[in-house]
Amino acid sequence: METDQAEKRTRREFLRRMGVFGALILAMGAFLRQLLVFFSPSMKKTPTHKFLVAKVDEVPLGQAKEITIQGKPVFVVHLESGFKVFSGVCTHLGCIVKWEPNNDRFYCPCHKGVFNREGDVMEGPPPRPLDEFVVELDENLVFIQVADKRKGPWS
Amino acid sequence: MVMSTQAESSKRFPVDGTAIGDVLFKEKIPVHMKHWLFAMGTTPFILFPIQIITGLMLAFYFIPSPELAYESVRHITQDVQLGFWIRGIHHWAANLMIISIFLHMMRVYFTQAYRKPRELNWIFGFILLGLTMTISFTGYSLTYNQLSYWAATVGSNMVGEVPLIGNLLLAWLRGGSDVGTNTLTRFYTLHVWVLPILITIMIALHIIVLRGHGISQPEGFPKESYNFFPGHMYKIVIVGLFLLSLLSLLAVILPPGIGDKADPVNTPLHIQPEWYFFAVFLFLKWVPLSVGLFIVGLVILVIVFWPFLEPLLSKKESQRALISYLLGSVAILTLIVFTLIETFTN
Repeated sequence: METDQAEKRTRREFLRRMGVFGALILAMGAFLRQLLVFFSPSMKKTPTHKFLVAKVDEVPLGQAKEITIQGKPVFVVHLESGFKVFSGVCTHLGCIVKWEPNNDRFYCPCHKGVFNREGDVMEGPPPRPLDEFVVELDENLVFIQVADKRKGPWS
Repeated sequence: MVMSTQAESSKRFPVDGTAIGDVLFKEKIPVHMKHWLFAMGTTPFILFPIQIITGLMLAFYFIPSPELAYESVRHITQDVQLGFWIRGIHHWAANLMIISIFLHMMRVYFTQAYRKPRELNWIFGFILLGLTMTISFTGYSLTYNQLSYWAATVGSNMVGEVPLIGNLLLAWLRGGSDVGTNTLTRFYTLHVWVLPILITIMIALHIIVLRGHGISQPEGFPKESYNFFPGHMYKIVIVGLFLLSLLSLLAVILPPGIGDKADPVNTPLHIQPEWYFFAVFLFLKWVPLSVGLFIVGLVILVIVFWPFLEPLLSKKESQRALISYLLGSVAILTLIVFTLIETFTN
């Protein structure tokens, strides 16, 4: 026991000890960092972009205007209550709906889904109303907030 | 000056640090322990704290209710930052813990380290295996997907086959007639409180008994020893670092999925328990349930009391060793073959 303590600490022994315990401390630090990340709720808000979709006087009351954003059709509808903007992608299986001004409805040709001008399902198989964008009015201009698409190399 | 501060502070905190340090770090380790084969028992001892830490982290997000259990596991796996990683480590460490306990048991068996006076520690070790399998079973039942739900149903039904008190035990375990809300909270309480505490107590007993006897010395090694610190400590640290890297790797390349949400009115076509129950599961498909459970119970009793049964085999030491080698090999081969058959035929 005494000889152990008196044993001269060689450089090799010192380096070995530093190596093993240094690696342990590094690993524990990295692990702790991961635990902290896991514990912290994600505060990231989905980044959005403002798109100008119409001028107020361009869409008559009760009518819809079709435009394309990021390659997908979007309908700007002028209602008594203000403006609503719907995605033109049918909530059933993803076909593109058509605005039928004479019938005052959106119609999906694939499975005969019918939505009214508020976007609610009137007939057919769609499981939920048309997806709606957040609308911002700025004097004469109608804007919507669109979530930025983030594309990684694997998506 | 230094001495007096130490003396003063030990009056306030009357614990002798050097004595504890001596017990922890100056244990005499026989030289055969330098072989990695003998580091098997350290593995579950390192994995268990990892399970405690990752389990604690998962408990911050997991909700044990039939409505939200599956959804919260999905949330952890897909939404929470590094959730897939923490859950993956918890999943893989559980599997590695079972594997390492099996390997440790095999090492102890084939080096006959269970022999007098260490019979009790063999039994403690076997209880630890049982507790680990139980905590794994209650753990994967919590994810509440189709496989875990039906595994919980089938697994708890087996408890109902216990003679006389089976139905009472089944009702206690499930907290009702079917697997449901009460079952989930019971399994959760068992998984995060009761079983971890029992395992901690058993590990403590296992190590106290081990230290009391001193490590058993297999034949053919010089009777020399070295201090636990630093040589053996290095080994444990290296095993720990290796395990952390392996777990991280497994969590990333083979992350556990979330499966389909549990549907109590729809049993899927192929249900299977986790792989470490395959051998028993396969055997129970071949024989009537009560007969099967009786035989499995008998096998467990033989393993538990093996250190006391082995001396009865023969008076000659060489014959005893030969018979126990043969029996052990047959048992392990059977276990492996059964597990493989179940893996590839279902």
